[in-house]
Amino acid sequence: MAKTYDYLFKLLLIGDSGVGKTCVLFRFSEDAFNTTFISTIGIDFKIRTIEMDGKKIKLQIWDTAGQERFRTITTAYYRGAMGIMLVYDVTNEKSFDNIKNWIRNIEENASADVEKMLLGNKCELSSGRQVSKERGEQLAVEYGIKFMETSAKASVNVEEAFHTLARDIKTKTEKKLKEASNPPKGGVQSSGHHLRDNNGPKKLGQGGGSAAALNWLSSRCTVL
Amino acid sequence: MEDDLPSKYEVIVIGTGMTESIVAAAASRIGKRVLHLDRNDYYGGMWASFTFEALQKWLDECRNGKTEGSVKTSSPLVQDSEKSVTIGNQFSTVFNIEEKWFIPEKLPSVGNLLSAKNTQTEDSPKESKDKQNETEATLKYNDKLWCQAKLKSLGRKFNLDLAPKLLFSRGTLVELLISSNISRYAEFRCVNRILTWQSDKLETVPCSRADVFATKNVGLIEKRQLMQLLTLCVEYKPENDEFKGFEDKTLKQYLESKGLTENLMHYVLYAIAMSNDTTPCMVGVERTQRFLSSLGRYGNTPFLWPMYGTGELPQCFCRLCAVFGGVYHLKRAADSVIVENNECKAILSDGSRLDCDHLVLGVADAPPEFLGSVPKSGLSRGIFIIDRSISTTDKESLTLLQFPIKGKEPITVIEAGPSTHVCPSGLYLLHMTTKQIDNAINDLKPAVEALLHSEYADGTTSRIDTDTQATQTPKEGDSSATKTEFVIQNEALKPQVLYALYFNCPETSEYDLSQNVPSNVHLCSGPDLEVDYEFAVKQAKSIFSKMYPDSEFLPRAPDPEELSLEVDEAAGPPFQSSEEPKEE
Repeated sequence: MAKTYDYLFKLLLIGDSGVGKTCVLFRFSEDAFNTTFISTIGIDFKIRTIEMDGKKIKLQIWDTAGQERFRTITTAYYRGAMGIMLVYDVTNEKSFDNIKNWIRNIEENASADVEKMLLGNKCELSSGRQVSKERGEQLAVEYGIKFMETSAKASVNVEEAFHTLARDIKTKTEKKLKEASNPPKGGVQSSGHHLRDNNGPKKLGQGGGSAAALNWLSSRCTVL
Repeated sequence: MEDDLPSKYEVIVIGTGMTESIVAAAASRIGKRVLHLDRNDYYGGMWASFTFEALQKWLDECRNGKTEGSVKTSSPLVQDSEKSVTIGNQFSTVFNIEEKWFIPEKLPSVGNLLSAKNTQTEDSPKESKDKQNETEATLKYNDKLWCQAKLKSLGRKFNLDLAPKLLFSRGTLVELLISSNISRYAEFRCVNRILTWQSDKLETVPCSRADVFATKNVGLIEKRQLMQLLTLCVEYKPENDEFKGFEDKTLKQYLESKGLTENLMHYVLYAIAMSNDTTPCMVGVERTQRFLSSLGRYGNTPFLWPMYGTGELPQCFCRLCAVFGGVYHLKRAADSVIVENNECKAILSDGSRLDCDHLVLGVADAPPEFLGSVPKSGLSRGIFIIDRSISTTDKESLTLLQFPIKGKEPITVIEAGPSTHVCPSGLYLLHMTTKQIDNAINDLKPAVEALLHSEYADGTTSRIDTDTQATQTPKEGDSSATKTEFVIQNEALKPQVLYALYFNCPETSEYDLSQNVPSNVHLCSGPDLEVDYEFAVKQAKSIFSKMYPDSEFLPRAPDPEELSLEVDEAAGPPFQSSEEPKEE
């Protein structure tokens, strides 16, 4: 099967419950909005491929599966993530205050060079606003990360936000690739493999295991 | 109490160990309302992996015990007909903790080294330039020296497993990960080397064609013998009588009857059958089959190791449970189990009553009365941070070694390096596990003495560099001197232990945990002695089928692409343009 993309980026959404992470994800991946899903059930991650400078970038965006509710995100969630969207709700002061805690959580668990971006969601709700745009900007400056106010509902800036994050990761990745083109001896292969059911061409149904072992043994036989 | 945790569940799971997590995922997957609690602020319980700092914290908690508040026996949440049974205390179950450093707290600072060098030099410019170079070399060398402070500063790069285990490539866990689609949450590396300890040295067990080609340890006739024997084991079916008469004998006796050489017998017995001289013949044949059937699926050995350590695996199942609606709350202890007529009605936690149809309970959290007469059998564990591999090659290896101990269970040794994200570069992690006879230090001593250099290293004297060790040859001299020389050199090649941790923990896999529990309470064992996960998966399956006999166990979870969610199209406007926004 031919690879249909040039880059694959794993992105995470992180932030308090109810700030609209899943809505942001749906707006970006399906161009849709739904107020009815209260919490995130059955959504693991979503995929959307975008094009940037002639390169196809496959974005695999993971949702927290509700494990943010009592701050029980698994360390496994952070593994291999290249970008993180930190989301708060502009109408919820506490979700903004908690961004600091989430950043600490990220520092403890994610790789040190993960790209981060701050999103103030629900910016279409002007009436109940508790966090001004300036405060969001200031916090982002404090952490040296980019910031945008978004509305998943009104489709404001969601597209732009993911493109910004993707671009930053792309730049970083390409820089790394360049450096790796004259790699230090031994190379830096440090990723693992996902398990697939690779009974492979000699698919043997039920007795796959022992038949494969016999295969292996007989291939050894020829050696002897 | 200020949380908004719903109060009714079909399944409450307490403890996030391997078995508990698999059951939680399986229940959630078929649509049951699951609440999964753990008193710790990390996942995995006795199956967890820790950064260095987190390990220290865990050790402190184990040493100090948990300061349990007064337990209220009566509560308005418990009705008269009900009985409240207090939850157990897991930290009382880890004992004989011994922690040792073999390196100084700090190294002599760079500044000191420089000034020491400079005061010595009152020589010609040329010579002082030499000194300069020497200083630089020392500084560079200093990079390779370790002290506690340096190791701790890299503490986040460690994933230290409490229960290191491997997966058979065709074992039940691998099949389950694939069939349930949970495999997407984890990454694995193949174990690429199986070593054995024979005649006081380490040898590579030939596991692949290339190995067989390369090995000088097995002669051509032996290779044929080995082939024949392995083929016999693979093809063995109960109806043929190859093993007739050996049903009540040991595998060793069978191998002897086949006229195998000592050498070959050692490979088959300890490395391939993963047995010892007392293992019954048919058990050994079964293990050999398992070993062989997993060969070649993902690599040259039958084993896989999870990236970032084994603590990832329970979390993968927890993630699936959460994706299907399971509610997670760590740092949340259950205080007691409410029982009426031999049935669990609910648990009390943080002043709330949480009702459930089924309660799944890790053995570490089980009330003592549920455990009944569970005898104290245990595991002896050792975790060693070492400065090089036990057997250095030009490429980083992931190694399994069953270190044979005469007449006893072998010591299982797993060595993993930085590319599996379990330790910083320049270091290796060595895990030892065996059945507890005495205590961890004494039980593991034979392997530690054979494989490791565990004298204190003050950090100023140099040890032979891995790059140059191959070129070292014994100095000439009379024969006895040569021999001493050789021993010393061997000692210098062994990895230096920087840090060692020993502890004992219970092993409950052999005991019937269902005897003293209410009918809808299911206890899960902690980590077992075996190198793989067969036991935990089997136990999880059996608990699930007791709870929901008519439901499928972890059917394949759909890929995100396959999900079509009913979306309220009218709620939001579509994108204004289909063009990708341009930045810069």
